Amino acid sequence: MTRRITAAAVLLACLLGLSRGTEAKNVDLSTVPGRTGVQLTIYNSEDITLVKETRSLTFKKGSNKLQFSWANTLIDPTSVNFRPIEHVDDIELADTVFPGQKPQHLIWNVESKFEGEAKVEVTYFTSGLTWSMDYVSIVNPEETSMRFRGYVRVFNNSGEEYEHAEIRLIVGTINLVEKIAELAQRQGIPPPQPATPAHAQLRKQAAGRSFDRAEEAKDARGEKAQIVKEGLSEYFMFSVDGTETVPNGWSKRMQAVEADDAKFDIVYRMREHQYGPRPVRFFLWRNDEEHKLGESPLPDGRVNVFRENGSDGLSFLGQQLIRYVPIKAEIEVNLGADDLVVYETRRVSTERLNFHYVNDPEYVDGWDERTAWVDTIRNYRTKPIQFELRRIWQGDVEYKSATATTLFDYQTAETKFAIEARSKVEYPVTAMRHDGSNAKQSRIQIVR
Amino acid sequence: MDRSRFLGLLLGAALLFPATASARIKLTSLPQRERVEVQLDNGLFTLVEEERIVPLLESNAENGNNMIDFSWSNTAIDKDSIQFRPLAIREGDKFRDIVKVTTAPGVEVDEVGVINVAYPPNENALVWEVYSHQACAVKVRVSYLISNLTRSFEYQALADKEETQLTLRNYIQLHNWCGEEFGPSGVWAGFGPRFHKQFGEQEDVKMLVQKFDGVPIEKTFTFDWFANGPLNPDKPNASRVLMHYKLRNDEPHHLGAFPLQPGKVRIFIQDGHGGEAFLGEDWAQLTPLDGDMKLFLGEARDIVCTRIIESNERHNQRGNLFDQEIVVKYEIENFKDKAATLTVVEQLNRLGQQFFGNTHGDVQWEQGSKTSASIRFSDELGGATPMLMIDLPARPADKDKAVEKTTVLFHVTLRNLWQ
Repeated sequence: MTRRITAAAVLLACLLGLSRGTEAKNVDLSTVPGRTGVQLTIYNSEDITLVKETRSLTFKKGSNKLQFSWANTLIDPTSVNFRPIEHVDDIELADTVFPGQKPQHLIWNVESKFEGEAKVEVTYFTSGLTWSMDYVSIVNPEETSMRFRGYVRVFNNSGEEYEHAEIRLIVGTINLVEKIAELAQRQGIPPPQPATPAHAQLRKQAAGRSFDRAEEAKDARGEKAQIVKEGLSEYFMFSVDGTETVPNGWSKRMQAVEADDAKFDIVYRMREHQYGPRPVRFFLWRNDEEHKLGESPLPDGRVNVFRENGSDGLSFLGQQLIRYVPIKAEIEVNLGADDLVVYETRRVSTERLNFHYVNDPEYVDGWDERTAWVDTIRNYRTKPIQFELRRIWQGDVEYKSATATTLFDYQTAETKFAIEARSKVEYPVTAMRHDGSNAKQSRIQIVR
Repeated sequence: MDRSRFLGLLLGAALLFPATASARIKLTSLPQRERVEVQLDNGLFTLVEEERIVPLLESNAENGNNMIDFSWSNTAIDKDSIQFRPLAIREGDKFRDIVKVTTAPGVEVDEVGVINVAYPPNENALVWEVYSHQACAVKVRVSYLISNLTRSFEYQALADKEETQLTLRNYIQLHNWCGEEFGPSGVWAGFGPRFHKQFGEQEDVKMLVQKFDGVPIEKTFTFDWFANGPLNPDKPNASRVLMHYKLRNDEPHHLGAFPLQPGKVRIFIQDGHGGEAFLGEDWAQLTPLDGDMKLFLGEARDIVCTRIIESNERHNQRGNLFDQEIVVKYEIENFKDKAATLTVVEQLNRLGQQFFGNTHGDVQWEQGSKTSASIRFSDELGGATPMLMIDLPARPADKDKAVEKTTVLFHVTLRNLWQ
């Protein structure tokens, strides 16, 4: 860990030999105990990471002065905590001093009844470490099953190198009253600056050495880092098995979700108010065991959907951002319009009747409008399709069709069709809308 | 691929770990592209697939895994779309499938597989950490979405002199402005043949997707007063007659192989002397199977249609509720030497607005008894926009005989209107 003297941005110094009376003001002599372990708990809803470092320090009986500094990082000074994890009853933090002349430093005065080496834990919040999720779905040529993968990608723009870190990723939305990056800067601490070339080189080399090393024996066995998932209050935690190194400025992507041969449904939806004037194709499946998933919620992330084209190659079907998918919830991916499924609607007639008059001379203040529509859906695919039609009707409407139709909501009629391969269906509808004073409601009513 | 023209795409199998990921000083081998496939079947995204043979070292505790560096410059590759898929292992001259191997008790993995991906800062690059059970050469496919490698469609139609049928050629044009050149590559539009073409940087390549012979032409003449207005101040009741070719995209009409994509259509006609004349061009809309591709060719000056409002009467029903009874007279002359059918589009909502005002949405209408029996009606454009089909005889062959004027009446009552 000697490289940390130059490589690390966080510096923990033990100033053990200095008595209070002879303390130098601006000239320090420090020893630099290395991290024996570091754990990163990264949240994706906010730019906040809880860093837990373990270090071994040597204490003397009586007063011990510890200096902690964090140049060129985005650490929230108010969050830095110190606690012994060995000889807990003998080591006591007396006070914490934030020296005015050194804004990126703090000094812990520690009283110890014990003399010798003890492990301590330093925790703090930092920003600049983030993570995201993305997904890849490759469906078979027949479009009946898919190979689904989810990947976590950890980004390190914190200004600090984290080597061999345990990484835990929190899925969920937490509440922060102040941004960590703002807190760091509010204390007069500048955001990370580009390092000098020499310094950057040393840091990169330091990071590189650890990155390039075959980090764990498991890698040499071809095992991907396992992502252990567990619930935690309202959140979910993904823990990367073993340790990972993510040098500053780098990001690293690891597989977290895996499902082979997962079945899915294909549904076409025509909802002009939602998806535009053409029917769109959806792949639907669930985050459950039946679909080889369901181990954890699926965090927000972009899904890229490909189809095997039968000659070792892929076709790109589409991409979509999916929002957090709880366990057992449905996953929907919109692949856009399909040229082989055509929807047309035609208003074939209009009739007005049931006029209501007021005053003298009379004038019309209420009437009904009866319109006849014919919707046509043509399926040119070689497989039957499921087609869902939703249409909003404004006003007080009585809706009549020989085809079974239900209400999605107070103003939306929903009809589902199973359409055979290379065939079409027609959907005739009559809508009677009560207008003016004839309108007593604002809702659609299905009449038989 | 020509090494000297290697532009921005670099795939290196870094065989030694230390230099790959830190200072990014790399010693790499450059596996050539064995095959490139450009998938243009998605209209919004272009997928490029490269196949390369990558030498891998055996992964072990001493050497670790293989680091494969993929980098690009001056091209807009979607970094998040890049896929690395080991396909097969080379054994002699052949390739075999990748199988599962047991590397430790209870640990079964693919004999070649990606462990993770790392993205260096400020570089268009990524590093795959790849496990290999043994030293071998692996066929891999690298797939990615790329911008500025796009496609468009265009058509060329050659009609016979009689305009009864045409030959339609459907071309795909590949526009390579992505900053990379591709050697011989497979190109797939999602339909039609698979092409094998070479396309350089900033090149456009036009390829014939399909040729359709003997496509019947339905030549239409359309008169739409409200869309086109008066012809000129001297003829305030006449309007333009627009000429279209209508092609039905189905098998009986010798099309129907696939939905016809939007694109420019240039239409030529055989001149009867072994040559061709340019008739005009139009943008074709997406034409689904069984749909009609309607191509506007220009004005038909030899068909003259005059629209006259012969009568306009308002009938009170009760209070402020009225019916508006209108008789529209069309006088049509066909100066062509062939019979024709004129389609008159009558926008009844506009008619109601003109003579009454507010129509409260689509008008309710009824046909009156004075409507000429010779008119055929279509509601293809919806109930409130009837299309009136009127057959016109050819001009007389006798030079002394004048062109017959066809006069028809459309008698319509717009019902239940009120202000």
